[in-house]
Amino acid sequence: MTEGKRKFFDRLDRTGRLLENFALVVLLGGLVGVGVAEIVLREIFGRGISWAEEFSRLTVLWLAMIAAIAAARENRHIRIDALGHLLPDILFRATRVLVDLFAAAVCAVIAWHAWRYLQIEIEFEDTVFRETPAWIVHSVVPAAFALTAYRFVLSAAKSALGSDTAQTRTPMP
Amino acid sequence: MIVSSIILALLAILGAPLFAVIATSAMVGFSRDDTDLMNMAIEILGLGDPILTAIPLFTFAGYILSESRAPQRLVRMTSAFLGWMPAGLAVIALATCALFTAFTGASGVTIIALGALLYPALKQDGYPDRFNLGLITASGSLGLLFAPSLPLILYGVISEESIDHLFRAGVLPGILMIIMLAGYSMWVNRGNTQMIKPFSWRELGAATREALWEIPLPIVVLGGIYSGFFAVSEVAAITALYVFVVEVVILREIRWGELPRIIRSAMVLVGGILIILGVSLASTNYMITAEIPQKLLEWISSLVTSQTTFLFLLLGFLLVLGAILDIFSAIVLVVPLILPIAHGFGVDPVHLGIVFLAAMELGYLTPPVGLNLFISSYRFEKPILHVYSATFPFLMILLGSVIIIAFWPDLSLWLVPDP
Repeated sequence: MTEGKRKFFDRLDRTGRLLENFALVVLLGGLVGVGVAEIVLREIFGRGISWAEEFSRLTVLWLAMIAAIAAARENRHIRIDALGHLLPDILFRATRVLVDLFAAAVCAVIAWHAWRYLQIEIEFEDTVFRETPAWIVHSVVPAAFALTAYRFVLSAAKSALGSDTAQTRTPMP
Repeated sequence: MIVSSIILALLAILGAPLFAVIATSAMVGFSRDDTDLMNMAIEILGLGDPILTAIPLFTFAGYILSESRAPQRLVRMTSAFLGWMPAGLAVIALATCALFTAFTGASGVTIIALGALLYPALKQDGYPDRFNLGLITASGSLGLLFAPSLPLILYGVISEESIDHLFRAGVLPGILMIIMLAGYSMWVNRGNTQMIKPFSWRELGAATREALWEIPLPIVVLGGIYSGFFAVSEVAAITALYVFVVEVVILREIRWGELPRIIRSAMVLVGGILIILGVSLASTNYMITAEIPQKLLEWISSLVTSQTTFLFLLLGFLLVLGAILDIFSAIVLVVPLILPIAHGFGVDPVHLGIVFLAAMELGYLTPPVGLNLFISSYRFEKPILHVYSATFPFLMILLGSVIIIAFWPDLSLWLVPDP
């Protein structure tokens, strides 16, 4: 890889990480804020927030999706790691290339079908929060799976090129 | 069908992310039934049980606590209370680890946050090194049965049992595990009197003052949940806000700049769990339409007739499962299968949950791949074989407690109100 390309990928990685962090902080903040506000309003004024439950549901969906992208970047998706500790390095890397490409393919398939589902939601004009078109809120699913697929391809490439394997073998949670 | 299952199992063992394996098995099932694969997306969008909000909120609170100086204060406070007992520090280690794990969900955070503190302290008080290593490793997953632990919440979501009842059911079995380990610790260290410290009101007062902000926390969480006054997700929101205000705003032990990093690592854990939950909703639905649990029940009923034999079979299965699979994947994958079977043998679903989690707790300590063993070996720089043998006596005691829990359903159901 040339110096310029490496710099480009480094910057891409930093920007992606920042965006994920920003989204996670905002979503979690919203979840705490609306959750507590709902209790306070209900207990003191006897009237909760009518959209609080739907908001929490969708926020958890978004949190899960963005966190799934972040987990793919940090190689922290849950796997059975039994063999990794026993295999010699070259075989370990080979299996990682295989399983990460498999994961990328699965994510791509899910992203594609989630995308098809969005088209149907657009056609039938499904809504959330009374008036918001559902597809806007639900678009996080295909987008997140597409990005996760991309991260798994990168991760497979890294294992194939031999960088990063030391880190991936650390038995940390 | 069989070929695709074997390929998937192989991919899982080779280290494929479990959510991808589960998603594939669901999609293979869908396409055999000519169901549109779009259902996959619909199932993932169904990640909407309101109780799920509790998972990110409690995890956030646990991570914030573990990054602050709360573990130190917790240890000091418990020492002031229990330090006068024989093997006091060992008992303290068990109690604090259990409390801490209840909040952080046994993701290895306990060994890292508390082990670093307790391990040298135990050594200084003259406890044998092997004992310390085993104790800390075993304590790392103790407390899974206490509210508000994530596995308990997840079991409630999957089994559609009341989380409130599960939280109550976990109390006595969890205490039994601690008492049995504490008894063993006292027996091992019976010759050593150097470690006993006199009780001091002054130290208790000082420790209490220091931990003044954290003392209300268990009261808020446990009181809120066990009184039934708030929903679990509401208690989670209050806990998250309270912990944030105390550790970041009032005590300022965590700088604002550190928050994105802490939130990220907490949410990455949550994302890993929720995505498995999302895709397994699809695979569970497929299994239920295909009547797989019923077929399994018929098959097992033809082999086993009594509840006792069934429970022994179940325990054996769970111990193997716990050694291979992490607790979260095990819950979402296996609970929908065994729940109807256990029901067929007259096992209460709440009791089943406690047995399930207690047995999975052992999985963290079972060689060769128990997660706690690796974390301890890594954290305390000990060879993995040394960790295996140091943890072994603790593993045997916990196994004894799991057998008691399995065959004494009233212990779990005592505090659960009759439906």
